[in-house]
Amino acid sequence: MKRHWRIFCEFFRTCLVEELEYRSEFLGNFLSSLFGIGMAILTIQVFFYQTDNLGGWKYADVLLLLGIFNTLQGLIDFALRPNMSRLLQHIRMGTFDYVLTKPVDSMFYVSFRHLVFWRLIDVLLGIGLIIYALIQKHYMPTIMDAVMFFISIGSSLVLIYALWMMLMTTSFWVIRIDDLSFVFNSFFETTRFPIGMYRGWLRIVLTYILPAAFITSTPALSLLGKWNGMTTILSVVLAGLFLWISRRFWRYALRSYTSASS
Amino acid sequence: MFRKYSVLLRMKYVEMFAYRLATIVWMTGAMVQPLITMMVWMNIDPDQENAFIFYFAALIFVERMTSAWDVWELEREIREGTFSYQIVRPFHPIHWAIAENIVYKALFLVILIPAWGLLAVFIPALRLDQIGAAQWLLFFCALLLAAVIRFLFSYTFGLLGFWVTKVTALYGMFEAVSLFLSGRIAPMSLLPPFLKTISFYLPFRYMVGFPIEILTGSVQGMDIVYGFGLAAVWCMFFMLAVLLLWKAGLRKNQAVGG
Amino acid sequence: MSIQVEHLYKQFRVHVRQAGWTGAVRSLFKREIRTVEAVRDISFTIPSGEIVAFLGPNGAGKTTTIKMLAGLLYPSSGSIQVAGYVPFEQKAEFKKIMSLVMGQKSQLIWDIPPMETFLVNKAIYEIEDRAFRQTLDELVELLELEELLTKPTRSLSLGQRMKCELAAALLHRPKVLFLDEPTIGLDVHTQEKVRRFIGQYNREHRTTVLLTSHYMGDVTALCDRVLIINHGKLLYDGELDMLTEKLTPYKLLEVQLSSIPDISWDAYGELVDAKEGKVTLRVPRERIHEVSSRFLQLFDVRDLNIEDPPMEEVITLAFQEDAHVS
Repeated sequence: MKRHWRIFCEFFRTCLVEELEYRSEFLGNFLSSLFGIGMAILTIQVFFYQTDNLGGWKYADVLLLLGIFNTLQGLIDFALRPNMSRLLQHIRMGTFDYVLTKPVDSMFYVSFRHLVFWRLIDVLLGIGLIIYALIQKHYMPTIMDAVMFFISIGSSLVLIYALWMMLMTTSFWVIRIDDLSFVFNSFFETTRFPIGMYRGWLRIVLTYILPAAFITSTPALSLLGKWNGMTTILSVVLAGLFLWISRRFWRYALRSYTSASS
Repeated sequence: MFRKYSVLLRMKYVEMFAYRLATIVWMTGAMVQPLITMMVWMNIDPDQENAFIFYFAALIFVERMTSAWDVWELEREIREGTFSYQIVRPFHPIHWAIAENIVYKALFLVILIPAWGLLAVFIPALRLDQIGAAQWLLFFCALLLAAVIRFLFSYTFGLLGFWVTKVTALYGMFEAVSLFLSGRIAPMSLLPPFLKTISFYLPFRYMVGFPIEILTGSVQGMDIVYGFGLAAVWCMFFMLAVLLLWKAGLRKNQAVGG
Repeated sequence: MSIQVEHLYKQFRVHVRQAGWTGAVRSLFKREIRTVEAVRDISFTIPSGEIVAFLGPNGAGKTTTIKMLAGLLYPSSGSIQVAGYVPFEQKAEFKKIMSLVMGQKSQLIWDIPPMETFLVNKAIYEIEDRAFRQTLDELVELLELEELLTKPTRSLSLGQRMKCELAAALLHRPKVLFLDEPTIGLDVHTQEKVRRFIGQYNREHRTTVLLTSHYMGDVTALCDRVLIINHGKLLYDGELDMLTEKLTPYKLLEVQLSSIPDISWDAYGELVDAKEGKVTLRVPRERIHEVSSRFLQLFDVRDLNIEDPPMEEVITLAFQEDAHVS
């Protein structure tokens, strides 16, 4: 663990050095992030122009949810997304063999080798929006709320990572698609709105099969003081389960990769 | 010209086959956002459920039929320098893009129309028996115009790539704005009055929303005429833009190299 | 006259971007512009059917000149005529009689077989069915493309792809062919094949070929005439052999002796190498006969060889001497 952390720091440093070469791009990136979140807020305003609640969530609640969504998306774009296309390239060009020869866990290496720092702006803007929404709501989370929030946001990070890795692992077989991350986006978009909005079988799918519900809704509810111990525990269990599955899947893919190539 | 097109179409068809999996994944993925938006609206106003289902299904269809990706293609070709080959050949590169659009949109049609028919069996809201012949005709004209405007809009931005390095980012911003103004976030009638007014004059409504409004019958009488008028104006505007930018871009490219 | 270039100049204006935060902000308001002279006063003519090499280190202005000749760039001043056309006017008739191949960029469509690109070119260049089939058959045979035609381009090796690029560029039987680094990145064997093809094609079809390269092998194998360019200026225009004579007033004398005598070689020439009975000397051109006959008289010579210095050396010299050559 400690070793992986050190390596991660090293990845962090090299990517930072690389990006500082292009620091004049800061303004453009900042503006596009600001623009992105602005548009997302405007979308919600369009909805609330016609109603005063969405699946039982008030305007400020949905803003808070959006803040969490934006933060998580920023983290995905920061650490996970930049690596997807590289893995595809590695596999296509056969340079994945180099990765395998490195004395680092290959799953760790392919998921965190490349980082894009500009996207941390989205994380900051997302956190800003969370704080703004809490002020709007005049709600000060208690310590217990905060604890529950951090547990559930931790599980949602693990969940995202696991789901992302499972998708990324399929690239061993479907190398023809340039950017599989598009598939993930489609799924992740569903977490932009309160899970209560979905009905029937879709809600069940989004809770248990593709656990979108635990990604944004559970942390948001925790921070609003509406947490439920059982749900939080369930989110931790699911996160662990998905991580385990993704790990198994990666191993399986590696085995078939190494035995297929000569 | 006709022979050239038949060869280009065939080539693009073969090429599409190489990307068929990606195309289908892409197409399915593009449906997710409208579907989520649809569910939001069904939550807000459960009484209008059927109207929303119809609106957003039509949206998915129209959105696919008018979608434009040319700005990315052009940006890549200009950046990688392979655009030079397009310049030294005795054939305007826009024809390649047009051929590509025809092939892909034909594929979308072949998939979406039977899918609609199948869904209509189970979902009464999707049945089309209320729509008259005149309305169909107007819809197809508006759809064709929408596809042309959106294509030209995207191509205009692509040509800006001669001057601007990150033109897709700029295009992305316009796309984001157009989500509201083209009727992709909400049917026009549900937009706040301010947005409704500006969307009437800007080109975005005529890229997606207008044909859907004709199909749902929410635009009637003289408003249809005005709509076609404005769409035609925008269409000509972007045609002119492509023409002028192409000439200027070629000169610019000749001055500094690609 | 096939290619005629007179007093060609090309300047680029580039924005100078300063490093650091303040630099980035400052460049938003005031852009510093620097003029780079890529090509300075180049003139030459190439009669039709000739094959000429354009030599020079990276950034010398080779590609810029080729791009001007192909109409991709217009000159800052000076005039160009290619087969009677002014390239940058971009006339369709001009485009139909010329072809451009860039070793680093591909015109083949990546994910489908090369044959598809060929068919598209057939339509675009309006090639008749019969002419197309004939040309294609010939190219397939010369370049050994048979099995490559139906494989997706992406699965071809670099050398195979280059051969297909050449075929795609030649389908409309251009009168003028511009090759920008056609052998770049290829292995020696494939380089040799591509070279042989270009030479043969030029001989058979009397196509005017202008090729840039920084592999000497391309040049010595294909061209009698070279244009040497550096820092945008034409340093030399003439026969390859003459260049050697002009630049290197000496030859290499290799003598195989039964044993190497322990003497000073200074009286004969400059010693390059002496081992295993073989002595290599650098001898001034005018003394070469005298020195070799003295060798034959004085020593037990088993073998004697007179050679020009290697081409690479000559070219390096040309770039070093710059002004002295022209």
